[in-house]
Amino acid sequence: MPRFFVTACLALWLAWLSPAANAAGIPAPYAPLVVEPIGVPARYEFDLTAALARARRENKRLYVYLGASDCPYCAKYEAFLAQNAAVLVPHFAEKYIVVDLRSALSVTAQRLYIRVGERSLPYADFQRAIGDERARMLVYPSVWLLDQDAKPLMQMPAGNGTFQTVPEQLEILRLEQ
Amino acid sequence: MRRLNFIGRVLGLAAAGLVPIAVTPRAHAAPGGLPAPAGHADSSPEWDNLREKLFQARPVDATPGTVQIIAPLRAAYGASVPVKIVSKLAQTPELYVKRIYLLVDKNPSPLAAVLDLTTDVGQADFETRLRVDEYSHVRVVAELSNGRLHTDSRYVKTSGGCSAPPNREALNLIGKTLLKVPGPVAMNQPTAAEVTVIHPNDTGFELNSVTVMFIPAHFVRSIKVSFAERPIFDAELDFSISENPTLRFNFVPHGQGTLKAEVEDTKDGRWVGTLAVG
Repeated sequence: MPRFFVTACLALWLAWLSPAANAAGIPAPYAPLVVEPIGVPARYEFDLTAALARARRENKRLYVYLGASDCPYCAKYEAFLAQNAAVLVPHFAEKYIVVDLRSALSVTAQRLYIRVGERSLPYADFQRAIGDERARMLVYPSVWLLDQDAKPLMQMPAGNGTFQTVPEQLEILRLEQ
Repeated sequence: MRRLNFIGRVLGLAAAGLVPIAVTPRAHAAPGGLPAPAGHADSSPEWDNLREKLFQARPVDATPGTVQIIAPLRAAYGASVPVKIVSKLAQTPELYVKRIYLLVDKNPSPLAAVLDLTTDVGQADFETRLRVDEYSHVRVVAELSNGRLHTDSRYVKTSGGCSAPPNREALNLIGKTLLKVPGPVAMNQPTAAEVTVIHPNDTGFELNSVTVMFIPAHFVRSIKVSFAERPIFDAELDFSISENPTLRFNFVPHGQGTLKAEVEDTKDGRWVGTLAVG
């Protein structure tokens, strides 16, 4: 009987999530620089080279968002951004270029590559190369705050459950640690 | 009993983020249902309760200057939050840090570690990694040899640290105890060292996704470190310490000797790690 109830709860959970499981990416008011993957389906390679060049030109940082089209937590975060765009967009725009990497839950760490210039690295190697502790596990969504040389401005958490309120999103933008 | 088991399971699933549970909004809830903002130095109902149980009516001094805890506001993973305890006091026979308590207010078992130190630690600084289950203060209380208590705290924003799936890739190595002295050995001076026990440190709150059963609690409960047969520190630990428990510490070598760590876990597993020094 308990197993039945647990199964029922899981089914309810999936039903609860499914309406929100169509993530469309960062909302338009944030003027995201959308980066589509290349090399699909063998691998999903996201090239940050152009975004970094633009960051240098505009003297800004990168707010790199890796979302998955079928990820409910991504959809939730994107909805949060949309609902609070009026407040948040000026803060993003002041210092950041928002980069939207479009992936899918089926894209695992082994198939996800990040390219900077001539160097393309699989997820875990890229994380190790920039000193990010999240090398062990790819979590959707993921956010990186990068300087113009693709160096992390601070260690970000896996997922984004800890910055889905306006004050906490602003904490992140201010690099509060 | 079966009903209780079921409730426990559902609550566990909720803790793992698998089942949404509607929570009655409370006046202090922040938008989005997250806990209200808290200052690093704030108290909490859990801390008020713990302080009374651990220290009764003894004063606990939160004035900066004796002990400090360093932890990030947000860590990469809730199951592995790096913390560093820094003592501002030299370990002299006249006055030294005798005991350190490390706490996570809102964890299911808040007392993560109790460390009994000798003056052979040299400098009572420690580093480890903690599981932090939800937005919570992490605290250190240093008990000095004169009986006084000093504390410091940091507020950490994370969740799921106690229910995150453990790394089970090296179960064949369980108990392997590794000692390391990363830098040069300084005779008669505090020398940095590190002990790591390969161990999943199961909390009892992690769900086996195949069986939908909880993995029983199984964690390292004690690490005793000595050098040349002289005790350095004894650590009583709980599952709030991350998997593969690691402690970075100092010790004062007075000559050549063997650094030794004796480890016990909750299933009476016993292991010893050694390292020749000097």
